[in-house]
Amino acid sequence: MTTYSITGAATPLNFPIYLDNQSTTATDPQVLEQMLPFFIAKPGNPHSDGHEFGKEAMDAVEVARNQVANIIGADPREIIFTSGATESNNLALKGLADFYGSKRNQIITTQTEHKCVLETCKRLEASGYEILFLPVQKSGLLATETLDSAISDDTLVVSVMAAHNEIGVVQKLDEIGALCKKWGAFFHTDAAQAVGKIPLDVKAMNIDLMSISGHKIYGPKGIGALYIRRRPRVRIKPQIDGGGQERGMRSGTLSTPLCVGLGEACGLALEALQSEPARLLALRNRLCSGITSAIPDTLVHGDLQLRLPGNLNISFPGINSDQIMSATPDIAFSSGSACTSNSIEPSYVIESLGCTEQEARGAIRFGLGRFTTVDEIDYSIDRITNIVSSLRAE
Amino acid sequence: MPTITFVKPDGSKLSVTAPVGTTILEIAQEHGLNLEGACEGSMACSTCHVIVDDTYFTLLDCASEDEEDILDLASGLTATSRLGCQIVVSERLDGLILYVPAGHRNALLG
Repeated sequence: MTTYSITGAATPLNFPIYLDNQSTTATDPQVLEQMLPFFIAKPGNPHSDGHEFGKEAMDAVEVARNQVANIIGADPREIIFTSGATESNNLALKGLADFYGSKRNQIITTQTEHKCVLETCKRLEASGYEILFLPVQKSGLLATETLDSAISDDTLVVSVMAAHNEIGVVQKLDEIGALCKKWGAFFHTDAAQAVGKIPLDVKAMNIDLMSISGHKIYGPKGIGALYIRRRPRVRIKPQIDGGGQERGMRSGTLSTPLCVGLGEACGLALEALQSEPARLLALRNRLCSGITSAIPDTLVHGDLQLRLPGNLNISFPGINSDQIMSATPDIAFSSGSACTSNSIEPSYVIESLGCTEQEARGAIRFGLGRFTTVDEIDYSIDRITNIVSSLRAE
Repeated sequence: MPTITFVKPDGSKLSVTAPVGTTILEIAQEHGLNLEGACEGSMACSTCHVIVDDTYFTLLDCASEDEEDILDLASGLTATSRLGCQIVVSERLDGLILYVPAGHRNALLG
């Protein structure tokens, strides 16, 4: 095994190496810097703008709203702040169903959505809505023909994740959006993993509602947003009653520092879109080819072209993910998604791709991010391939 | 003249003839219906909120962005809600059925 200098190298490796950026990202120091004044020096309530403290908080929240709107081509009035993508997904689907449900009774989603979309749909199913959980292809992509044959004039909303949290696959949002428009159905997309990683344009893609997360894009945890189209107006029934903040759609005092953090994270991500995807793609390809050339029977899950540049999801036949993970405490990656990794169940996502239960149990996910270096990738290739070889030799 | 039917909150109906060019708010007030019109048709209060029968909703011109913004604040909003001050009577609206909500919220009062 190659020996690495931890302290003497030009860019020393810090252990454990963090390769779980689809689970969460570190807050970018530039983001934190913008947030800090709003904890102590500027404590105002953004909804109480009768004095200087409230005004500066409100102004900061509105700057942040602009930054969030900018990164997806929306109007700032189309952005409402939430606690994160889980709340946004709940609000979008339950809010639409509660407002329009009696007119259209069917909701379409996929089998590989995030748990918070699946569980929301199951709750709506229990209250009388028909839910179609569409299968995806081996590549992880939803075939447009599959949606085409399922969608009807009874479809209220189609909810399809923009970029996948486990396999990184990026759906053909423009094709899905066009079909939704044709049938008069709303198009909701959970873009927690996609915002700031790939270019998104809510108008060009005909997206009516989009869920956004702060902590997946180097912003703080506990903040997210929901984009909701103004023209033609899309309406939702609020799920939290109270003081009528966020134009009545989401009551509760906004956290100014968290909003500022999400806004700044979007601002930085928009700038980074120029160069970061190519850098991450090169690192991902290096990781993928490094592992697959050493272990030729490596299975790569999900389409490699329509995919987040920083994501790799693989398994090694005959080896469970927990075997590799327990042997490599020096590298942080995950099996399945963060939200299901405490479960001993195999990944339902990988199984949905037509893989065997054994293959699903073996799936590991690498999430490369803004702070990932080439040295970390090279170290990881070495470690993973050695561990797999020794596990197989046992 | 087109005939317009108002369905009151208690379910009782009132059918009236309405001159082309007048607004639903004007017609309602002329016939003593409970549509306040606190802002006198300037899209600031939502007190003339009416719910349009599904069959007729698509016959109406689309709501402006300003109207949608005020509708967002209306009490008991539905997918076929409109402001009475923004619906102008025309021949093609003959037979129009409108539901008067049980309550209104005056956005001018906050």
